[in-house]
Amino acid sequence: MRILACMMALVIPVFSVAAQNVDLGTDEQREAGRVVYEAKCAHCHGSDGVPRPTVASVFRPAPRNFTTGTFKFRTTASGELPTDEDIRNSIRNGMPYTAMPPWPSLSNADVTNLMYHIKTFSSDFSGPFGEVTALEMPSPPSMTDESIARGREVYETNQCSDCHGNRGLGDGPSAPTLEDRWGYPIRAADMTKRWTFRGGGTREDIYQTFTTGLDGSPMPSFEISPTEDQWALVDYVYSLSRDEPNYATMVTAHATTRTMDLSQESFADIEPAYFPVVGQIIEPGRAFFPGVNGVDVRAVYNDEHISIMLQWHDMAAETSGSNAPDLIAPGALDADSDSTLVFSDAVAIQFPTVLSAGTEMPYFIFGDRKLSTDIWFADLAGSGARHYVGKGASNMSEEGPELDVSASFQEGEWTVIFRRARNEEAHIAFEEGTFVPIAFSIWDGFSRERGNKRGLTSWAYLYMDVAVKESPVLPMMAYGFATLLLGLVVTFVTRKKVHGARASSDDKRGEEA
Amino acid sequence: MNIVVLLAIAAGLIALRFLKPNSLAWSSATWVAVYVFLRYGVVPPVPASVLTMFMFIITLSLAVYLTTTEDRLKEVSNAFVSFFTDKKYTIPLVVALIGLPFIVAFRVYQNLTQLPDPPVVGRTIHPPPPATITFKGRQVDLVDEDNPYRELETSDPTAFAEHVSNGRLVYYQNCVKCHGDNMVGDGLFARGFNPIPANFQDPTTIAMLQESYLFWRIAKGAPGLPVESTPWSSAMPAWETFLSEEDIWDVILFMYDFTDQRPRAKEVHE
Ligand code: HEC
Ligand code: HEC
Ligand code: HEC
Repeated sequence: MRILACMMALVIPVFSVAAQNVDLGTDEQREAGRVVYEAKCAHCHGSDGVPRPTVASVFRPAPRNFTTGTFKFRTTASGELPTDEDIRNSIRNGMPYTAMPPWPSLSNADVTNLMYHIKTFSSDFSGPFGEVTALEMPSPPSMTDESIARGREVYETNQCSDCHGNRGLGDGPSAPTLEDRWGYPIRAADMTKRWTFRGGGTREDIYQTFTTGLDGSPMPSFEISPTEDQWALVDYVYSLSRDEPNYATMVTAHATTRTMDLSQESFADIEPAYFPVVGQIIEPGRAFFPGVNGVDVRAVYNDEHISIMLQWHDMAAETSGSNAPDLIAPGALDADSDSTLVFSDAVAIQFPTVLSAGTEMPYFIFGDRKLSTDIWFADLAGSGARHYVGKGASNMSEEGPELDVSASFQEGEWTVIFRRARNEEAHIAFEEGTFVPIAFSIWDGFSRERGNKRGLTSWAYLYMDVAVKESPVLPMMAYGFATLLLGLVVTFVTRKKVHGARASSDDKRGEEA
Repeated sequence: MNIVVLLAIAAGLIALRFLKPNSLAWSSATWVAVYVFLRYGVVPPVPASVLTMFMFIITLSLAVYLTTTEDRLKEVSNAFVSFFTDKKYTIPLVVALIGLPFIVAFRVYQNLTQLPDPPVVGRTIHPPPPATITFKGRQVDLVDEDNPYRELETSDPTAFAEHVSNGRLVYYQNCVKCHGDNMVGDGLFARGFNPIPANFQDPTTIAMLQESYLFWRIAKGAPGLPVESTPWSSAMPAWETFLSEEDIWDVILFMYDFTDQRPRAKEVHE
């Protein structure tokens, strides 16, 4: 450290000439920035640029500590400070799927003043490193099937899969060990969910992300040549994800005549419904940063059974230990008391135990005293499925009809299939043509989730599609012809009336003459 | 609300005004404008069943409008008659006679092959509050009690600022994931909840509510709501399990401070 300081002392005089070009704003601008910062940013980033521990503890990634001069989203080379425009863009656009919000409501002047204020937290900005230039971005060639295929090779040779996984689901072998510069565990991005990219999801954004790296996180910068390979890698990453999450509010159970054997084949050719999963932060034992952020759901039924398949991405399967929906989880701000306990991954589907005649439903967090929910639970440590009846998160009992389940984990993805008989006395029935309320819960054992500490969804609907669909041709023809007939009748009647009226007025005129 | 759609509709209607349309054309344009607005101009989208209901009412009232005065009625019927009889309309008439059946058949096809919409359950957003609630064993009178720290605003601004600042901490530790940083209800987890978290910048929420009403909503959350407000689906937590009475009054102060709004005043009792 001391040596470094000495070297700096020698070097600084030389650089300070250049550093004069650094734009730190005027006193008025920095002061104006401070005022806005105190009102809008200080509660997360801290008045002195160091996030308050009490608030930081509920966010992952934690709000940026501005005193270290480390910034993730830059157009400058790895290890350098961001440009003024980079900081302004970060403030204006925010970072999706983190606590850092976009600030469209702030004026350009406010954003600029904030930028100047942020630069006061780290002396690097006023020193020799303050002067930075953005890296140039070569213009992108067009995306083709070949470039995507080539990109796959580049992806492998650069070992992106080491962290991001073979299919890009964020499940690489190193993924569970990653920590950011501030000591918090961090996850490698899920490449199949481009909408969660904080640096942005366009091809240009992805190019910038891996050429500049995300400083402070394990995401390194990569120097790849030739340029075509850089863009090929971008195209491959880009091709892994759809554009939008397309969150669903309903999943359709398709009718089939096949037998249901708990295999994925039963669900072939069915498009999944994708539901957002968020942290349970309503009952004690809150999960402020759940391990799972979405679940794909498919459903089929035949005369006898209904089968529901859930799939979600997880960086590693936790199949040791155990889990249950009614375990007591520690408060979000309390230490996890017994760290020797190990929790497995787990999943649950929830339905009302019975559909009430009116609109009334049980509370979406495991029911309430008045109306209970059926909970189909699977502990993925391999102990099979259990059926619970919930009358509130702290009032659950293991009872109810028999359930079958199969579970498998492959390349960063869990697949769990539940099966139950369609008609069970005193429990939810799955009748053709009806809407059945449905909700999901997912526990990530790696994040030590159990009981109330989990990811969940609110009530959505399962629609039991009708088995035999009427062909639309006959009704189409019937309505079409009826319309044609009606049109013709109206035309003729109108014409006749008008001609009649004209004729009679002609007659009258004739008589008068 | 989608401003772009709104502006497009307004522009269309103004442009039409210059063409001096007759009552029938004007009414049809109004019908289309209302439909386009309800269908594309409102976020989140209006459910199909509600849309049908609205359009039925609009159709009915336009029909009443067109038939109330003799002149308007004549205008309308003349327009119809000339369409069916005038030589110059022969081609459009034939096109309409042949085209309409196809449109109808297509709609029938859509209706029969589309999945039905999930049921919509209406909910009362601001139900009447109870007169009293029990907060950790203490009776709180929602009619007469008010935010005990509100008076500090004038009597002791420093102490008031401290309460607001504690409220800020409470908000960012507990509420921000749902109600969002700008308090517009777009927090990180908001996408997972239906109904979506309340938007406090909206003038129809906290600006028209009393602080004691907010105290009730915050302390008792969704489970404290009456049936007409669908307590089973709202994600609003009952904060009495996590927060002290003072924390709740403080976060209320902060919510008004941050959004630059004033609570509705209490009615003065005799
Ligand atoms: C609710 C908490 C919260 C608030 C309020 C907030 N931020 Fe952030 N901010 C974060 C988090 C969390 C991150 C880190 C995101 C990440 O690492 O991906 C962050 C990151 C940043 C970054 C770093 C970007 C980079 O390249 O590393 C900047 C700059 C920033 N915030 C500025 C602001 C400004 C200016 C405001 C006020 C207008 C503000 N933030 C308000 C939570 C917040
Ligand atoms: C050492 C592990 C590691 C390797 C190797 C790695 N990444 Fe990452 N990557 C990460 C982590 C961790 C994140 C999440 C960073 C964060 O949350 O701040 C990330 C994030 C990303 C993102 C999303 C950034 C955003 O905008 O949110 C992209 C795109 C990405 N990486 C691409 C790549 C590509 C392409 C490669 C290979 C050339 C690669 N990564 C190699 C660890 C890695
Ligand atoms: C898990 C998500 C969630 C969290 C956390 C949350 N809320 Fe809510 N809140 C909601 C939802 C959803 C609604 C709208 C439905 C309803 O009225 O119950 C709501 C409604 C409200 C209302 C009623 C507004 C009105 O117009 O009637 C108030 C007041 C409120 N929240 C305050 C808070 C405060 C204060 C906190 C933090 C201490 C908080 N909320 C935390 C989800 C949340």
